[in-house]
Amino acid sequence: MAESKHSSVTSYVIVALILGVITYIEFALVEYPQAWLGSTWTLVWLIALSIVKFIMVVMFFMHLKDDDRTYTGFFSSGMFIALATFVGLTAMFVLPRAVASTKPENVAAANAAHAEVPEALLENVETGGASRTPDQIADTPRVADRSVGITPPTASNDASTYSVTAPTTAAAGTPAAAGTPEAAPAQAGGADEAPAAATPAAETPAAAAPVEWDAAHGATVFNSNCMACHQATGQGIPGAFPPLAGHAADIYTLDGGRTYLLDTVLFGLQGQINVNGAVYNGVMPAWNHLPDGDIADALNHVLTAWGTAPAGFTPFTAADVEARRPDALTAADVHAHREAIGLQ
Amino acid sequence: MSAEASTAATGAVAAPYRSSKLPDVKLMMWVFLASDTMFFGSLIGTYLAYHNRSLVGPMPRDLFDIPLTTVSTFVLLMSSFLMVLALHSLRESDIGKFRLWTLGVAVFGSIFLGFQVYEFTHFANAGLSIHQNLFGTTFFILTGTHGVHVTVGVLWLVSLLITSYLRPMQAKDAVYLEIAGLYWHFVDIVWIVIFTVVYLVEFL
Repeated sequence: MAESKHSSVTSYVIVALILGVITYIEFALVEYPQAWLGSTWTLVWLIALSIVKFIMVVMFFMHLKDDDRTYTGFFSSGMFIALATFVGLTAMFVLPRAVASTKPENVAAANAAHAEVPEALLENVETGGASRTPDQIADTPRVADRSVGITPPTASNDASTYSVTAPTTAAAGTPAAAGTPEAAPAQAGGADEAPAAATPAAETPAAAAPVEWDAAHGATVFNSNCMACHQATGQGIPGAFPPLAGHAADIYTLDGGRTYLLDTVLFGLQGQINVNGAVYNGVMPAWNHLPDGDIADALNHVLTAWGTAPAGFTPFTAADVEARRPDALTAADVHAHREAIGLQ
Repeated sequence: MSAEASTAATGAVAAPYRSSKLPDVKLMMWVFLASDTMFFGSLIGTYLAYHNRSLVGPMPRDLFDIPLTTVSTFVLLMSSFLMVLALHSLRESDIGKFRLWTLGVAVFGSIFLGFQVYEFTHFANAGLSIHQNLFGTTFFILTGTHGVHVTVGVLWLVSLLITSYLRPMQAKDAVYLEIAGLYWHFVDIVWIVIFTVVYLVEFL
């Protein structure tokens, strides 16, 4: 008896030591990557080591090694179904993407897509973009900011429009292009070309035409923050996310609608709403971590991109957003606001 | 009265029909663990299916702290080691050591939970909520469910510890500690898989 007691405790100690060592090896494989091993073999080793740990715990700590086979049978059948679920999910969701990303035509297409994107924008995307903190995002110069310079409103206009001028390099280099707006993007080389071409507003800066907001920036902000739910064309997802196209413009024309739209983006919205006869009961998050200019441009994008702008449309400006911030409403306050302007 | 007496006299006849000689509670625990395996298999599979599909941050690489998680993994593994020592001591009717090791398991489990609370708080401060993105949803559901299992395990062990003071515990009661141990080891092996699949593989 004493002999068996001694040996079983000894085996427990040995198993525990091995488990600890394996855990350290796993940690070391990831923390100090081995170049000669390569990421594929590191993955194989990590999986193999965790299977060894798994089996050791089951065999020695849970005593399946010496216990009745019935237990092993029950546990194995559960494990089998779990593994089948796991493999099935992987086959359906993970493998197709992995395989697609290795096809030559997809690699070529991805490289071509990269070639068309300005280097500075790629940096924004590949360094994580939205995965950085709002402060870091706010500190990063945006591509669109470099293609246009925004002059604060002067006394001669109504303070709701900005005068946008071309970047100094382009303006100095193409004085002759002043009368031919189409020539401006062709002359502006390199990194500035893509955003300039995508921005009708930015095509005519040399002519010093007053442009009300940066449409390309608005589209960028919308696509990276709003599109996931409200979709690229603002149609929303029936039953889940309300449409913006048309609906936002309708709200704009209501008394107080302009402020309500701004509040919804800035402070969020929670509670049951009714849009075009459909009931929605989701959560619109508050976007107050975005810079004022981003919120204004995204709102202008929503109100103009999918139809004509509402009657009497005055574009939102960063100052409008800044002015609303001190109110610090809750999503429920915004819902009350919604009812106050006559919406369901 | 006479019925009871006759039952006692002819115990073999009165014994309930059993299809197995295995202890019911232990068999039931293994069946439960089999079902729980499927449960966690689905949760881990879901995490992987939505891996890298988040549209906004924070992303796993922004948040995971491998050294910290390695330490908490080690703590949980060692709690499993203490668990087998506790069971061994009880089988040897060494109540003092049984209490010591069982308390150790509960303390190590609580330390693991402390790491998890710290981690969740840190992630929440970094902007990851359960509805922030797909990573937040699948990660918190998976590790949260695991954390609930650990919490239940700690409460179970503490209740066994209290029981040992209320009524004498002997070697024949070992099966009750054994099933708690099976549950505890199971929670440990689930974390072995999560540690590799969710945390380590992220950085390859």
